[in-house]
Amino acid sequence: MLRQGDTGDWIGTFLGHKGAVWGATLNKDATKAATAAADFTAKVWDAVSGDELMTLAHKHIVKSVDFTQDSNYLLTAGQDKLLRIYDLNKPEAEPKEISGHTSGIKKALWCSEDKQILSADDKTVRLWDHATMTEVKSLSFNMSVSSMEYIPEGEILVITYGRSIAFHSAVSLELIKSFETPATINSASLHPEKEFLVAGGEDFKLYKYDYNSGEELESYKGHFGPIHCVRFSPDGELYASGSEDGTLRLWQTVVGKTYGLWKCVLPEEDSGELAKPKISFPETTEEELEEIASENSDSIYSSTPEVKA
Amino acid sequence: MQTPLPSPVPVLRLPRGPEGLSRGFAPDGRRAPLKPEVPETPESPVVHECQESQEQRARALLRERYLRSLLAMVGRQVSFTLHEGVHVTAHFGATDVEVANFYVLQLQTPIGVQAEALLRCSDIISYTFKL
Repeated sequence: MLRQGDTGDWIGTFLGHKGAVWGATLNKDATKAATAAADFTAKVWDAVSGDELMTLAHKHIVKSVDFTQDSNYLLTAGQDKLLRIYDLNKPEAEPKEISGHTSGIKKALWCSEDKQILSADDKTVRLWDHATMTEVKSLSFNMSVSSMEYIPEGEILVITYGRSIAFHSAVSLELIKSFETPATINSASLHPEKEFLVAGGEDFKLYKYDYNSGEELESYKGHFGPIHCVRFSPDGELYASGSEDGTLRLWQTVVGKTYGLWKCVLPEEDSGELAKPKISFPETTEEELEEIASENSDSIYSSTPEVKA
Repeated sequence: MQTPLPSPVPVLRLPRGPEGLSRGFAPDGRRAPLKPEVPETPESPVVHECQESQEQRARALLRERYLRSLLAMVGRQVSFTLHEGVHVTAHFGATDVEVANFYVLQLQTPIGVQAEALLRCSDIISYTFKL
């Protein structure tokens, strides 16, 4: 599904895969989407119309897809242990293949302005050079790597494994710092300003840590199942968490701010009636704002308040 | 030390979910301006426009006719042909907004008469009634 980032509103559903979708990504300007599925295919979609643009057949479950900055190439990876680079302008042509992984690849990402590739399998993270298609460096872990995220600003790699969250240089793969958490963590995300991070895992809670000191700041209850994915929005105003409980939850970074569907109510304003919203959607016309205001006449309070665990 | 529970933050509404079986991607939604400019086919854009609005008008007309036909059915005896060669008759009551179910009265089935029933439209192959 494609949803609006600030409100969570559904935009459309990409229909076509015949197996569980393991990976999904948007290109830089959100005009194209790519998905990786258990039906042994990766698909590229028009993200504005919802139409399927191409189906790329693989020999096993595909787990990861990533566009280059210019949207000309798609990197795919999966259980066949191969990294594949497709030229999206020539979809019929055979992809370039990089082999070397000895177990199924969970995640593959372009990095260093698409000059290099990062890939993670169960116990290793490897760095490859795009031009020569050869391995540059690798990291080994004694616990299963659950997630890997790349932050271009600062060339940081966020890796979660066991109860650890580790930050490595995406260029040298050297360890910058790592934190231990109370539970097995499945995913972590660093705030764009790199002051704190959020992580979620098997104990259903979301943890917030100070990136500089490593101090646990808060933990949030809300999900009813293990959390598998956490990510900050590009503007850092909210983060999203996806869980086995079948829900995706949006959390405000700074509670009490007016943003998206959250409406800050100051004590004097709370007269029982919902005042006209003061949100500003950059491209929204007056009509759309009216529509939003009239949809519900009573104040709706969030059903899952952020509570200190 | 016990810190006071923070008060819940009010939200305007909950995020909108998927609409029934629709695929979404509304052409007039917030994302419409994102569509990259695709060079038009050799066909002149004016002709293209005409054809599109003609089709739209035809669709609207057909839809209106169908809805009026449903209105005309209310209270009348209708014969339904279902799967596996089953035929039933009933008095038509109403349909739901997606025309997924028909509410009928006095449904005559091979095993008796049902005072009120919901017929799933996906089970219906065809139906006829006399005006």
